[in-house]
Amino acid sequence: MLSILLLLVVLIPAGGAILAGILRGKSSTRVGAFLSAAVALLALGSVGLGYGTTFRQGLAELPWLADTVSSPVFGVLLDPLASLMLIVVTVIGFVTFLFSLRYASDENRDHPVPSTELSRYNFWLLLFLASMVGVAISPNFLQLFVFWELTTICSWALISFYRTPKSLAAGLKALVMTSFGGLFFLGGILVLFVKAGSLEFDALGRLSPKMRAVVFLFLMVAAWAKAAQVPFHTWLPDAMEAPTTVSAYLHAAAMVKAGVFLMARTVAAGLDLSLAPAAVLGAAAVVTMFIALSYYFIQDDLKRLLAYSTIAHLAYVLLGVALGAMGSLTGLRGGALHILCHGFGKATLFFCVGAVAWRTGSRSIQALGGLARPMPLTATAFFVGIATVTGVPPFACFWSKFTLLAGAMKLPGAAGPVLVVLVLVESLISFAWLLHVGQKVFLGERTPAASINSDPPPTMCAALVLLMIGCLVVPAIGLPLVGWIGR
Amino acid sequence: MSGVFELELGAGVLLVGAAITLALARRVRLAGWIAFASVLAASGATWSLAIRVFAGGRTPEFVLVEVPALGSRFTLAVDPLSAFFLAIAATVAAVATLFSVDYMTHYKGDGVAKFYPILLVFFASIAAVLVTTDLLFFLVFWELMTLTSYVLVTFERERKESQRAGLKYFVITHAATLCMVLAVLLLFRESGSFHFDAVRTALGELLATRPFLAHVVLALFFLGFATKAGVLPMGDWLPDAHPAAPSGMSAALSGVLVKLGIYGLVRVFCSFLPVIPATRTWGIVLALAGTASLFVGTLTALQQTDSKRLMAFHTIGQIGYMCLGLGVAVAALPDLPDLAVIALLGALLHAANHACFKACLFLGAGAVLYRTGERNMDRLGGLAGAMPVTAASSTVASLSIAGVPPLNGFVSKWLIVASCLLYGMQLSLFLILGLIAMFISLATLASFLKVMGAVFLGPPTARTGVREVPPSMAMAQVVLAGLCVLLGLFPLLPLTAIRDAVAGVLSIPVPDLASLVGHGAGLALVVGTGPVAYWAPLVMLAALAALTLLAHGILRAGRAGTRVVDVWTCGEEHAAELVRYPASSFYLPFKHAIEGIYPRIRVRAPAFPSTLRRALAIDTWLYEPFSRLVQRTASMVSATHVGVPQVYLLWIVAGAVAVIGLVLFLAR
Repeated sequence: MLSILLLLVVLIPAGGAILAGILRGKSSTRVGAFLSAAVALLALGSVGLGYGTTFRQGLAELPWLADTVSSPVFGVLLDPLASLMLIVVTVIGFVTFLFSLRYASDENRDHPVPSTELSRYNFWLLLFLASMVGVAISPNFLQLFVFWELTTICSWALISFYRTPKSLAAGLKALVMTSFGGLFFLGGILVLFVKAGSLEFDALGRLSPKMRAVVFLFLMVAAWAKAAQVPFHTWLPDAMEAPTTVSAYLHAAAMVKAGVFLMARTVAAGLDLSLAPAAVLGAAAVVTMFIALSYYFIQDDLKRLLAYSTIAHLAYVLLGVALGAMGSLTGLRGGALHILCHGFGKATLFFCVGAVAWRTGSRSIQALGGLARPMPLTATAFFVGIATVTGVPPFACFWSKFTLLAGAMKLPGAAGPVLVVLVLVESLISFAWLLHVGQKVFLGERTPAASINSDPPPTMCAALVLLMIGCLVVPAIGLPLVGWIGR
Repeated sequence: MSGVFELELGAGVLLVGAAITLALARRVRLAGWIAFASVLAASGATWSLAIRVFAGGRTPEFVLVEVPALGSRFTLAVDPLSAFFLAIAATVAAVATLFSVDYMTHYKGDGVAKFYPILLVFFASIAAVLVTTDLLFFLVFWELMTLTSYVLVTFERERKESQRAGLKYFVITHAATLCMVLAVLLLFRESGSFHFDAVRTALGELLATRPFLAHVVLALFFLGFATKAGVLPMGDWLPDAHPAAPSGMSAALSGVLVKLGIYGLVRVFCSFLPVIPATRTWGIVLALAGTASLFVGTLTALQQTDSKRLMAFHTIGQIGYMCLGLGVAVAALPDLPDLAVIALLGALLHAANHACFKACLFLGAGAVLYRTGERNMDRLGGLAGAMPVTAASSTVASLSIAGVPPLNGFVSKWLIVASCLLYGMQLSLFLILGLIAMFISLATLASFLKVMGAVFLGPPTARTGVREVPPSMAMAQVVLAGLCVLLGLFPLLPLTAIRDAVAGVLSIPVPDLASLVGHGAGLALVVGTGPVAYWAPLVMLAALAALTLLAHGILRAGRAGTRVVDVWTCGEEHAAELVRYPASSFYLPFKHAIEGIYPRIRVRAPAFPSTLRRALAIDTWLYEPFSRLVQRTASMVSATHVGVPQVYLLWIVAGAVAVIGLVLFLAR
């Protein structure tokens, strides 16, 4: 039952991608919205069915590997961690399609999308949804790798969607950098396969400590590239050339989370391994956090600002994962929860920017001002997004950050408090800056660029409202789920 | 049924009210009345709970939500201290909302969708902060309170000052909250729980084993709560934020919100902190911070001409009194527990009193603003005739805040200053602090004489059509002014409740009220062997009344007439406007002497070093050169593809020769 549901969650969008690719114009987007709604419901249903349990089933195997590995290569795995990822991917996927209904049209003042381009857009977006679900429910490294590379290709196609020189360059850059990371992923899998004869997540435990560290480092590089961590952080801000819906979904909520998800998977499967390189992961996360923060102050493009914030928050997740690898289960739980919470918060912010740019044609912090009067709902959503992302209670990220920090405190000696202080400092500065930007764009006198008269149309508003509700309620779903990680 | 069902009922009513007012936001007055009705219902429920707690003691603990992933439980319990602050919040909330009903109608073109719903959630979160016994949820609602009040502070969003004030407010108080997050996490590390009892034990153990860390935790809590309370210098946000909000909200901010900082300080320093000799140091810190606040805050208030900003600076000053009282209490706890209790009684009573008179003053300033559109006192004058109710209630509140007997401000200041001076017999530092506090009381009086003189007295300005505010707004002010008188005449009423609150918080046994302040009509300050000071408000009132009657009688008997003439301007003719004595002309020499007391520091963001910026631009020095290198190599390789068959043939021959040569070399 559950395996059929989960298969459907992968197959519906995959089949839908072909359908949307055949259909022309608006009907293609409508199919996308309808199918993604179905997928979201099915996914939520299966999360509900498997709430708090681990469901694993092998479905198919590669004939030439059947004797070598113990369990089938292809299958489904739904445990609390996969559930978290599945919620992010499918729910925000649905919201993305809902928002796209009007966003991807020639009414878009930021970048009109002719209706002839819609089938291409929906094809790639649905294919991405399918492959991302595949990442979430993968039971082993190999399947995860296959879907992982699929998401890279979708990301390349969607970043270059407008086919301007800039967007083509950005797409190529993203493709090259994430594929480079993919090579490390492949290398890690191969070492694991050769040394342990298995592709399972927990095969790491069967390696010698030295090889374990090698595989961990290989996977870590892959995750850094996918999640745009220093030194691979430069592709993500450039990827903001993509349509804003794509930036929100791929480059804030879902695809970049694949990298941190991989690390969370690895660590959750081998908690008692005392992975020595975890300190490297944690230190790199803190460095990334502050480097990303340093870029905040020189951004004028709202989307690029949010991209740097995304980089910092992916570093939070990796910090949590590193804490988990150092023995603090609470830290790992906080990191995993942050995947969910940040997904909703950052998607809210991106969709707000999308709505603003859709109406005004501008994303410049300098040019915009006083938008709260014509666009009250968008303004509310933006401030909710800021509060969520920077961790102002009672919104989502507070809970994940707090869990993470409580985990960090478990570190022995002065390391815990020092880490907590660093994270809090980053948190405060980014809060202050984002609030300042929010006030600049939405409060104050109206600037000429903001001379518009209303919030975006109902479907886009509905998307914003759904996300705002998500920002408030996801910890209630996520906290129990992460509580089961590592049990 | 849980022990605090009244409160759940109240919170439910508030949230339902928030939803309804959000839906009805276009109908400003209707939304206002619905908001008032729900606040009134919630306040009623809260008061009945408070009375139940004062009569029967602490309610049993009730678990609402559990978060096992963090080991936290949202527990609710109301002890007398919570009940006392709940009562203050309930009273001010109801009055401030009543005032807002008509007040909000003067915002033309602004809906109230971002006022009433937020205001109701704000009140609900205040209640939640006061009743939870779990530090995690305490922080959650604490920051929800900040978030909602931020929205209300930036209500007039087009004004630059509101934005600035809002940003400053939220960032500073968020920093304070993060300090508390750190403190809570440090204690969580020791105890593994967020419950107040566990935290108390953890702090006690920490003080015994690692005192440095324990004092860091205490310092973080102090920073967190003192910032919210508006203790200087952390309270620098307050004079900007409080005036920026709509006046009803200003009253709620100054009346309730800052008191929660005091609530937190009392919880931490009187309940969590065990009584050990080291507590005395913290008492001195609190007392010094309080004295600095009351001194700087009040003297700066004296220089203001914006009515609401003046009130905000006085809030800092009055919070300073509470903090001083608290400091005396904490300092005296180890060796003079009775005196400590008296100081704490004074501090908490002052919290209640301040809620009444400061809310009333903000509402008065709001009423003037509502009718005249003016906050600058230089351009106001002579409103007493046009707005008698506002003038009368503001006068009562002004005299209260200045500590004029027999009004309520006097009683609490008397308790605070008396205990401070008495403790000064032990530690002479407190003698100085007590004297400063007495002197500042005078400055407060001077400041409010200025307000009265500039706004309500004197010749009326040219402004026409100024009338008394609508009955609902007048009613709100009269209720608060009435409370000022009532609490002043019958101080034992609140003190009974406060003694229970203190007894519930302190770990030492607290004597009953009669042996602390006597019983009967007045107060008798009992320290050590016997009473050392008396205060009988009713006797004083009777004496005042008798003297007034006597004076009036003499006036009548002597048939002294009054003659109203214009101000004599040496024969020159001036417009009345020019020869008025405006607010900014008061106390000029004195103001000149204290000009620099509130330093203005310009904060400039440090420039990001450009070398570091270049080093971080990893694209330009690593990836782009690398990709250029790859491109150059590729073009070199592709240069071999010339498309001429002869050249390819040449390559084949050359290759064949090379291979044959290699084979021959290997086979040699």
